[in-house]
Amino acid sequence: MEDMAKIAFGIYALIILGGSVLAVSAKSLVRAMVGLIATLLGVAGMYMLLNSAFMALMQILIYVGAVCVLIFFAIMLTRADAGGEEADSAPVRQNALALLAVLVTGSVLGWLVLTRPQATTGVPVEVSIEKLGLGLLGPYGLAFELISVVLLVSMAGAVLLAWERRNGK
Amino acid sequence: MSPLVLYQLVALILLLAGLFGITQRKTLVGMLICVELMLNGAGLSIVAAAQLTPANAVLGQLGTLFVMGLAAAEATLVLAIIVVIARRFGSTKTSVVSTLKG
Repeated sequence: MEDMAKIAFGIYALIILGGSVLAVSAKSLVRAMVGLIATLLGVAGMYMLLNSAFMALMQILIYVGAVCVLIFFAIMLTRADAGGEEADSAPVRQNALALLAVLVTGSVLGWLVLTRPQATTGVPVEVSIEKLGLGLLGPYGLAFELISVVLLVSMAGAVLLAWERRNGK
Repeated sequence: MSPLVLYQLVALILLLAGLFGITQRKTLVGMLICVELMLNGAGLSIVAAAQLTPANAVLGQLGTLFVMGLAAAEATLVLAIIVVIARRFGSTKTSVVSTLKG
């Protein structure tokens, strides 16, 4: 079983790596979104490996089901150029600065992760959905209420922003 | 390497891919895709840290759930902003939307 978990981890890591490379480098935005979907599914598999099936389900429901559809709407509602939206290559200076940002952040965070190992339990703990529900209604009730307010406000704000005024003003 | 370090490295890869994309992309939708990548890395890191250490696992999973909710709210607002910008400027390229640039 231990070997199976390692093989599955490797496969999911490869999916995540390939998907994120496609999402960052694709010339066409629809292809970039397909890469994003592959990455999200890989992360959902990692949640399954971490013994949190509920999070994997929510990842697929919320990200693949809702956020990616929103991104697809954003692509379709804006004017799409013929040869791909990102066809003209970025200036060399911009690419160099992006690489510099990645290198600095990656080296600092990677050094921190690799040199300061935390004590781990090795096997992921099991959390039942019942405990999650009790947590939402008990100690974390305020955060639960606040996120519903945030969602309502963002929905109302989106409608207000995109409202087409008919009579000029 | 312990499993936790491996999961954190995958999360770091997601963060770096998003960071590279958001500095290098030329359209607003491409930048939105990269923001989602970074948020996913954060969620994976939180869940791995909560599940593989003696920390409070319920708090970790619920925190990631809240990150997902905030990402959905953010994507909704960004979609509306992109629609407004596309209507006003006729394009969502960051080189066109530069009225405030000195």
